[in-house]
Amino acid sequence: MLNVGIIGLGHMGRLHMMNCLHVDGIKVVAAADSSKRALKKAKLVGVKNLYMDYHDLLNDSSNVNAVIISLPNFLHLESVQLALEAGLDIFVEKPLARNVKECRKIVKLVKSSGKKLMVGHCMRFIDAIEKMKVVADKGRIGNLEVVTIEQILSGPFAHGTVPAPVPEWWFDPKKTGGGALLDLGYHLIDLFRFFVGMDGKILFSCFDHKFNLPFEDGAIAILCSSDSSVKGIINVGWYQKSVFPEYNFRAILHGNAGYMSSDDLVPRNIILHAVKEGAKNFLRKVVGKKIRPLSYSYYYESYYKELQHFFECVKNDSEPSVSAMDGLKTIELIEEAYKGFGERQFT
Amino acid sequence: MGDVVSLVRTHNSEEDIKKSIGKALDLIDFKPKSLVKSVDIKVNLCYYWHAATGYTTDPRIVAGIIDCLRERYGTGIHIRIVEADATAMRTKHAFVMLGYEKLAREKSVELFNLSNDETHEETVRVNRHEIVFQIPQSLLKSDLFINAPKLKTMRDTKITCALKNLFGCIASPRKIVYHPILDEAIVGINKILHPDLIIVDGLVALGRFPIELGLIMVSVDPFSVDWIASQIMGYNPSKIKFLKIAMKEKLGKLEGIKTRGENLITFKKTFPKENFFSSKHWWNFQLQLLKLYHRIVKDVIPPALEEV
Repeated sequence: MLNVGIIGLGHMGRLHMMNCLHVDGIKVVAAADSSKRALKKAKLVGVKNLYMDYHDLLNDSSNVNAVIISLPNFLHLESVQLALEAGLDIFVEKPLARNVKECRKIVKLVKSSGKKLMVGHCMRFIDAIEKMKVVADKGRIGNLEVVTIEQILSGPFAHGTVPAPVPEWWFDPKKTGGGALLDLGYHLIDLFRFFVGMDGKILFSCFDHKFNLPFEDGAIAILCSSDSSVKGIINVGWYQKSVFPEYNFRAILHGNAGYMSSDDLVPRNIILHAVKEGAKNFLRKVVGKKIRPLSYSYYYESYYKELQHFFECVKNDSEPSVSAMDGLKTIELIEEAYKGFGERQFT
Repeated sequence: MGDVVSLVRTHNSEEDIKKSIGKALDLIDFKPKSLVKSVDIKVNLCYYWHAATGYTTDPRIVAGIIDCLRERYGTGIHIRIVEADATAMRTKHAFVMLGYEKLAREKSVELFNLSNDETHEETVRVNRHEIVFQIPQSLLKSDLFINAPKLKTMRDTKITCALKNLFGCIASPRKIVYHPILDEAIVGINKILHPDLIIVDGLVALGRFPIELGLIMVSVDPFSVDWIASQIMGYNPSKIKFLKIAMKEKLGKLEGIKTRGENLITFKKTFPKENFFSSKHWWNFQLQLLKLYHRIVKDVIPPALEEV
């Protein structure tokens, strides 16, 4: 049994905590958050050790093997450093940190600690993306020439079923490290690297400030693979009113022998898909089989799958498919986009 | 007595919007009750969603109102654009994100967060419910109180326009506490606050989806405005619960409600009416189904639907 601590019980932290309850051989033994309400929710699902301050969780972590860090971006470096000092394996939400300097420090610390660190690049685990990668690698669309990926949502301004204010740190670019490019673009730039299988460089970027905030709410970046053979077009935005289960995301791979779009691989009717997958899980439950958590939402399932992968790596002592280095490489491209095209640096 | 509601078609240019507002005011023959030195304009900034989504009052409409007021009552009048924090929305951010900070700079008007105002507690009785409100005091002191709502549909109350926009004046941010008795709360706040003028932003209206309706509605009576607005949005106003309660509470009467200017049918024809799949019933059915599924199967619920 692997004992896990959850640091940060915001939206993502709570989702990870609930997902952990479905992963075999995992027990959530501790959770930390400054909100009593959030800790109460953790208690309700059986978490015994609750802390208002995550430092206390780490100081008291003798029975913890790994932690999931879902804190605001500005706390990633500090919390990762302390968790490594406590001898824990780490799953950290994306972005790895706010900037290249912080990411490099984390990479160095992970290397010297010998512990595992996986960054939450959940989009690599979406079924459609996994299929696209396999098919493209088999040469089905010929040589990959152009990758276009877009994701336009509400980002931190999404409105939940239970209304709650957007946490204030999201409005402070010093605490976030950037805007939509760092938040959503981070995933898309990582997907570009994932599809082409090598690093990239930024050719062009431009930024929008439709909400008059001191960080971008929309960005377009054009990049290419390090050998310049594949080009990528990234289009991200926080400016679209989107309400769950709407999910405005697509990736298209253009090869010289054909093309592939994620739109053709995801359910056309998300409600029908949810009903169908929900019914399958119901039947699994009835016959005593393990359910497929979150399979009713084709993109939320990726959060479960990434955690499952991380815990397998910890148990089998193998390297996670998304390393601290992947986090660093992605942030390097984002910082290049910010620096090279006049966008101010935030941290 | 109900009152006259003017309907004027407008286009997207600022000049045209200003002219249309002036025309709409003339159609109802608007005369302020006293000398106008200070004006409060209550906009609807329910969340950080751009005016083009149909959710929030368009700054261009407010610019038109400001220009119109200065033309009629002089450039020396003190104008405030007011809004209060909501459960999920913070006015300080909404003013910036939705273009009001820029507008305030350009037009030299004040932006005011009603949640930061001095308040006093008032209790009203509606439909056997005693409802307590925190009322911003400065709102009661202006010479001209203008309500500038949106024309839009809403899952809980079917429509939201003049009467509902005053609900946004309640100083306490956690307005969600009123939601179990939302219809009564809407009527309750309208028993306390009485705007002198209603100028409805129907530039982009919101039904099943947003639509450029190009409509400006003006009246001095919020009940009459909502009666006409619900017809435009495809509802039978006599079946809107808060309008029924408003009539019972003597906040509005059907007699005398009439329109001037454009025919409401022309707007009604193009308005994207709600259907079953965009209704509260369908949404609630889905949530209940998910809740049941969660209870039986013990699957994870996405954070966006956490109440489930």
